[in-house]
Amino acid sequence: MGPSPFRRAGSLPMQSTSNSNRPTGRRSSLKNRSVIFGLLAALFLFVIGCSKEGMSTWEAFGPVAQAQLDLFNVTMWMMVVVFFLVEGVLLYAIIRYRRRPGQPKPLQIHGNNTLEIVLTIIPTILVMGLGIWSVFTLFEIDKPPKSGPTPLQVNVTGHQWWFEFEYPDAGNGKKIITANELRIPVDRPITLSLFSDDVIHSFWVPKLAGKLDMIPTHENKMWFQADSDKIDEDLPVTLFAQCAELCGIAHALMRFRVIVMEQADFDSWAAAYGEPPAITDKAKKGKQIFAANCTLCHTIDGPDDPALSASRLQGFLTGADITPVPAPNLTDLRTRATLAAGIINLSETTLREWLHNPEDIKPGNYMSERAVLYQDGDANLSDEEIDALIGYLLDLR
Amino acid sequence: MATITGAISRPTSYAGVWGWMTTVDHKRIAVLYGVTAFIFLLIAGVEAGTLRMQLVQADNDFLGPAQFNQMFTMHATTMIFMVIMPLGVSFFNFVVPLAIGARDVAFPRLNALSYWLFVFGAVLMHVSFLVDQVPDAGWFSYANLTEKPFSMSRGLDYWAIGLLVMGVASVAGALNFVVTIINLRAPGMSLLRMPVFVWMTLITSLLLVLAFPVITVGLIELTMDRNFGTHFFIPTGGGDPVLWQHLFWVFGHPEVYILILPAMGIVSEVLPTFSRKPLFGYPFIVFSGIVIGIMGWAVWAHHMFTVGLGPVANSIFTITTMLIAVPTGVKIFNWILTVWKGSVEFTTAMMFALGFIALFIVGGLSGISHAISPSDFQQQDTYYVVAHLHYVLFGGSIFGIFAGIYYWWPKITGKMLNETLGKVNFWLMFIGMNLTFFPMHYLGLNGMPRRIYTYTAEFGWENLNRLASFGYVVLFAAFLVFLINIWQTRNSRRVGHDPWDAPGLEWSIASPPPAYNFAEIPQVEGLDQYWITKAKAEAAGTPITEPEALVDPKTIHMPSPSYWPIFTAAGVTLIGGGLLSHYAISFLGGAIAMMGVIGWSNEPAAAPSDDH
Amino acid sequence: MAHAAEQEYTTTGLSHRKLLMWVFLGSDCLFFAALIATYMVYRGQSLVGPYPIDIISVPVTTISTFVLLMSSFAMVQALAATNADNKRAIVGWLLTTAALGSVFIGFQIFEFNSFKNEGLTLGGNLFGASFFTLTGFHGAHVTLGIIWLLAMSVIGAKGRLGPKTALDVELLGLYWHFVDIVWIVIFTLLYLIGGFDTGPVLPGG
Repeated sequence: MGPSPFRRAGSLPMQSTSNSNRPTGRRSSLKNRSVIFGLLAALFLFVIGCSKEGMSTWEAFGPVAQAQLDLFNVTMWMMVVVFFLVEGVLLYAIIRYRRRPGQPKPLQIHGNNTLEIVLTIIPTILVMGLGIWSVFTLFEIDKPPKSGPTPLQVNVTGHQWWFEFEYPDAGNGKKIITANELRIPVDRPITLSLFSDDVIHSFWVPKLAGKLDMIPTHENKMWFQADSDKIDEDLPVTLFAQCAELCGIAHALMRFRVIVMEQADFDSWAAAYGEPPAITDKAKKGKQIFAANCTLCHTIDGPDDPALSASRLQGFLTGADITPVPAPNLTDLRTRATLAAGIINLSETTLREWLHNPEDIKPGNYMSERAVLYQDGDANLSDEEIDALIGYLLDLR
Repeated sequence: MATITGAISRPTSYAGVWGWMTTVDHKRIAVLYGVTAFIFLLIAGVEAGTLRMQLVQADNDFLGPAQFNQMFTMHATTMIFMVIMPLGVSFFNFVVPLAIGARDVAFPRLNALSYWLFVFGAVLMHVSFLVDQVPDAGWFSYANLTEKPFSMSRGLDYWAIGLLVMGVASVAGALNFVVTIINLRAPGMSLLRMPVFVWMTLITSLLLVLAFPVITVGLIELTMDRNFGTHFFIPTGGGDPVLWQHLFWVFGHPEVYILILPAMGIVSEVLPTFSRKPLFGYPFIVFSGIVIGIMGWAVWAHHMFTVGLGPVANSIFTITTMLIAVPTGVKIFNWILTVWKGSVEFTTAMMFALGFIALFIVGGLSGISHAISPSDFQQQDTYYVVAHLHYVLFGGSIFGIFAGIYYWWPKITGKMLNETLGKVNFWLMFIGMNLTFFPMHYLGLNGMPRRIYTYTAEFGWENLNRLASFGYVVLFAAFLVFLINIWQTRNSRRVGHDPWDAPGLEWSIASPPPAYNFAEIPQVEGLDQYWITKAKAEAAGTPITEPEALVDPKTIHMPSPSYWPIFTAAGVTLIGGGLLSHYAISFLGGAIAMMGVIGWSNEPAAAPSDDH
Repeated sequence: MAHAAEQEYTTTGLSHRKLLMWVFLGSDCLFFAALIATYMVYRGQSLVGPYPIDIISVPVTTISTFVLLMSSFAMVQALAATNADNKRAIVGWLLTTAALGSVFIGFQIFEFNSFKNEGLTLGGNLFGASFFTLTGFHGAHVTLGIIWLLAMSVIGAKGRLGPKTALDVELLGLYWHFVDIVWIVIFTLLYLIGGFDTGPVLPGG
């Protein structure tokens, strides 16, 4: 440390050669070089290491995601080339033209108009090429192709902090409302209408399509399709998905799953959707507990009654302490793989923990906040009662 | 009222705390801005640290979701409005009057008012921590998450009103710089002889003047929604939350250029000095800056590609955004060509400037990939965007500002920052920055959304998050080294007025500059005036070794210090504070501000002097 | 020694203050543009009444608009009197301008009050929110102008206004004319064009 040996006080203009024995040039440029190489190595790893797990966008299971990925890949490789070119020239320039002892003042160049024009036109062509391709892609992925199978319509509503899926016609005119697990048939376009009841959410299944926001009072439309020839594994395949717009305290815990199934499996799932049977004594007791404590918000016997949904929403928006609020439809809960908007796997154990105290699992959830049952924190139910409730919800025989 | 205000005698002392509080000297105001912004930088840095700590492993519970939302909101808001903007303004204040050969800004008291409004607004927003009602909806605070019943604490009120007060500060400051640059240039300094930093200041100031009113309206409407029952952004009352997004980004995109153009200006000063070669393509750099400033108004909806504006709107904004990449590219080419065939000296300032170019290229290229709306549908609101914005704001703005600090420090203080420590600082920052933010590109493409406080291991995001958190530690060390470097300058030796053999007029006067800046207003004959002056002197066989001789300050009539700026600023802030607590305080604030304005207008800019 | 302000050197020859006022008005333009944009976006979007056609009275506001336009004329006369160094006329015209401005504000208070009585409130519907916010901020600008005019009248009454201080009156005039022009835009959009708006137009209807 100590005073820098760099320039002396009042060093004369244009005479910096007088203090030229400084250890600048070579050592710094070597350091420079190694770091830049490190950076390049990192970039290389980044490019070859395209992971395909979980939420990765490097793998496309359908035409929409594929078109987006293709465009990104071309852009990325173009950018990689430009990156190496420009950083290379920069690096070359600072190493090649580093100040050397006794060097005279460099030629005072002010510019070169021809070069400027060339260097303006080249990037313009590059970006316009990408821009025009983007425009074509935008229109191409806007709507499903007219030829091909009839699309399956799904209305998705974002709630704080879970997703509601409504199939107006899941087959034979059957209406289905479910939550947090979107089951779709393979090789068939899915047209989605996106809504929100409260704040802005964003609907995103990375492997099928980029995201689209769910905005209150707006209806946003998108579509995607899962192609069997792009999926290596055996069906059904479960895909991760997550809300992508900050929507409050439990935003990070607002996930869902997309289950890609054969059309036949989908049809039998749809046909089986309905009221849960309560056969065992335990389940019958659970049914009573459910009716007494849960039905203000949760529907379990098929699609929600629209009037009921509206009144629940009204209650939610008033913001009072204890009111009915929109809550996931629990019909056929036993067929689901996850609980609490896709954040934990569904099993007897996890459901027990959830019913005992949801706040421990999903901080901020409205069940803890608004349900009478949870006003003291832990559920106001005995272990047997919770057991019975589980029996009913999971239809244990 | 006039008699009351007249009864308070004018401050005369330049010493002590009162001297600083009543100062109207642009150089002292620059120091105030710089120090304040740096304190906020440390606060925002700690906030970033809590975020990185929380994300260091899957299912972590260092921060709860509520605190996490508060931390990223305040980190971004602080960095943008209380760190990068005021650090830019600090350089405007210090450098612009010196670089254009002026004795001060056009309105010295207005300048002081801007500073005090900024500080009070920033403090007002941070009062939210004391009452534990911290803003928590992100720096762009999308409606209607910011509305009742989704946001019941007063956090967003603190946010909106704090920003309104700081907005007044920014506009007042920017108005001042527009007038200063247009009207106070030394004789001979035509527009195309202005240093690039001054040009970028002018463009930034014009953007501020035009962009801030838009967000002001947005913030007023938000405040009215939250407090006076309107439904501007509340869907249940017919309002459209997307209107907020439009208002926000019509401001927000010019704001992005407000954040980066000052750094581009600084780099354009540093590169020629340490390449000993004039800036390559000066008119192209200037015009590309102007084009960016104009086109910056036509690209705002690229922040809203996923809103569902439809393929036509998305196409238009894709194309305009692609086009704005061109002038940015032109700047990069010209900087590289400035270095080309130069005589590159690796001072710390130069290394930060070169680091700026290297990192800004990365940020620019990733920017192009989100300009392409179809692929942005995948990248929007993921860590890919976080990576991009930190490459342009940290690698760009902060590196540029650090280049400026190392470059102008000897002018500001008359002393040198230690170059060895400076290089340690640079390398730690360069490496730390890449370790922290480069992995985020990959995290984003691997599907990690922004603003999530937790994630599970099954997504495969843990290792890169750990790496990014480690990078934060390196960055933290870099800032510590910088602080040590600042601290040690107390004892470091004095340097001459022109330690870098620089081209700007500011280097022709003593370091630190006297209160009046120039004893004699210089005549400007071309670009890089001080190089011209020095070359002529050398040719005449009388090389310049000394700064312009000092004169008795009493012979130059300078604006006098004043109580009224801080007084008025306090009044205006109390108006806002009253909205957050009790309306009576607003009336009190209004009365104080009114009195301040009356006192101000009854007071001449410069106290009549008895000396002559 | 004279004040620096009177002999200040400026690059363009324009005084600093005049330039400041112009740039400030540019900024204020964007402020009103954003408020007007809000109003225009929400035209016909109110879920419940009262709607503009129910309460807006174009004839009444035409009168107040005319009054405001006349105040601009008075302002021009005030500046002319300042340049002619006619001390009494300066004060007279400044007070006339202030008086006409006050009449305009009086009309606005009357209008706000009658709208309120007819059920238009800030919280009631989007029309109320955007109407009151836009015209309210315009009214605040006019009020500020009136205070400024009165302050200048006091200065003028002390005989301190004249050709040497004409800039003080000119700046006030710039501001006053700007506020006037903004009103012309508001009057056109909110009254002449938007005054006949009804409730939300349903698709197909």
